[in-house]
Amino acid sequence: METLNRTEAVSLTGLRKTFTTPRTKVEAVRGVDLSIQAGQIVALLGPNGAGKTTTVDMILGLTQPSSGSVEVLGLSPHRAVTSGRVSAVLQTGGLLRDMTVRETITVIATMHGQAGRVTQVMDRTGLTAIAKRRVGKCSGGEQQRIKFALALLPDPDVLILDEPTAGMDVMARRDFWENMRSEASSGRTIIFATHYLEEAQNFAERTVLMSHGRIVADGATEELRKLISGRTVSATLPTEQAISQAEAFDASVSIAERNGQRISFKCADSDRFAQTLLTDLGAWDLEISAPSLEDAFIQLTEDAQ
Amino acid sequence: MIATYIRVEFARHFRDGYNLVFALLLPAAMYFLFGNIPSYTDAEVGSGNVKFYLMVSMAAYGAAVSTVAIAGTVATETMQGWGRQIALTRMTPASFVTSKMIVAATVAAASAALVFALGAGTGARVTDGWMWVVSYLIILAGAMIFACYGIGVGMLFKSESALGLASGLMVFFAFFGNVFMPLEGGMLDAARFTPMFGYVALARYPMLHSIPAGGDMAPDPLWIPVTSVVAWAIIFALFAVFATRKAKARQ
Repeated sequence: METLNRTEAVSLTGLRKTFTTPRTKVEAVRGVDLSIQAGQIVALLGPNGAGKTTTVDMILGLTQPSSGSVEVLGLSPHRAVTSGRVSAVLQTGGLLRDMTVRETITVIATMHGQAGRVTQVMDRTGLTAIAKRRVGKCSGGEQQRIKFALALLPDPDVLILDEPTAGMDVMARRDFWENMRSEASSGRTIIFATHYLEEAQNFAERTVLMSHGRIVADGATEELRKLISGRTVSATLPTEQAISQAEAFDASVSIAERNGQRISFKCADSDRFAQTLLTDLGAWDLEISAPSLEDAFIQLTEDAQ
Repeated sequence: MIATYIRVEFARHFRDGYNLVFALLLPAAMYFLFGNIPSYTDAEVGSGNVKFYLMVSMAAYGAAVSTVAIAGTVATETMQGWGRQIALTRMTPASFVTSKMIVAATVAAASAALVFALGAGTGARVTDGWMWVVSYLIILAGAMIFACYGIGVGMLFKSESALGLASGLMVFFAFFGNVFMPLEGGMLDAARFTPMFGYVALARYPMLHSIPAGGDMAPDPLWIPVTSVVAWAIIFALFAVFATRKAKARQ
């Protein structure tokens, strides 16, 4: 488990990035402090536009921060990248359509000075069978696998994945995480940006929640899950008396939204609460829903302010 | 590192039949068509014949166009995220551009060599052997000016079709640069300010320099094409730098 002398894989201090064009000014990242220990698997979770990609770009030295500092394994991003100790699966582009799969891997391997790893990495990522295919003719999932192979070429200590499963179908997504699991067990630090709550839950030991360029929550994924584990129970109730009785059910119950006799309650124990509503209070049209990630964000962002 | 990249680049460009046709076959075919019209192509001009004159013109055109097309891919590839991928390796942006330039220069050299070989085989001739060599080298060196033009257009418009347009515009530059057919009077005066004029005039200078000033087909004094080439080299270089900065700022 964690000890004090574990080295920091990534350390961000007061990180900010503002994009300025003649007409607009966009604050993509507004003050991020984050420290990730070596060997951790961390999810960077947030909706689109939360600043995840910009943060990742700054960790990789692809974008210069407006202010604040970035250290990767105690080095500047540029040094960490050129020494092959950090690598990434990028979200957009990154591949040339008219190269074959093998050409792409070979070219990038040579640029890393790792030409000897081509065959091994292609075998491990299941690309040998499609080695001669042009990248443009590969499916979304296959292209993602090519990018993953490129990221593995330098044998990095820190692996960063920006929306790694974008464009994959369910099967491909499952295979991908299966593969990642074996990479993770070899002691790499893995940081992945995602907007799928499920991926964070299944794979990351720690989840950092970002919204509007800030970190709104950061902790063990298990804790975060509890934080947003409440349910919304909606029902139509016959009388005002029934409504106030329902509200007094237990301490966790509160009215989230009211529309005439139709009430949405937030509660912790939805099963018992629903039972009471139906059997004791004469409610009908009952619906139980888990909060969406967006709901969780709204709540957490409000809490943070 | 560069060697592997260059090898793959060649494989790519040669798989893409379109580029191959434009870079190699078109100038060769054009020389073949225009350079073999018996009524005038064997006529003497300067220290050689019209065939040599046309051979130099078509080779210069072909070399410049293929340079534009290949150098321009630096820009479109950078914009498509390939630049980001390369930025995650040890390869510097400078060596990326360098390897592209080597590919562009090689294709330009092959394209011009093909036209020169066709010329040699079909009776293009000059009095002295060194004229072949000097004209060829001027064509190669001058073609690199247009690499900057290709990079600039690619960076500014970020698309393959813009690059196609840039290559297309080269036909216009060629007509107005006195490359395809001899211009006269006001047209010729205006032509002296277009990008291809100095380049092709310099390439023809070895064979034409013996014509006395004022004579038919007499070349401009050397300083005119030299000034034109230097000026356009500076203009295109600044254009490439400006467009690259603008593109990087928008990223």
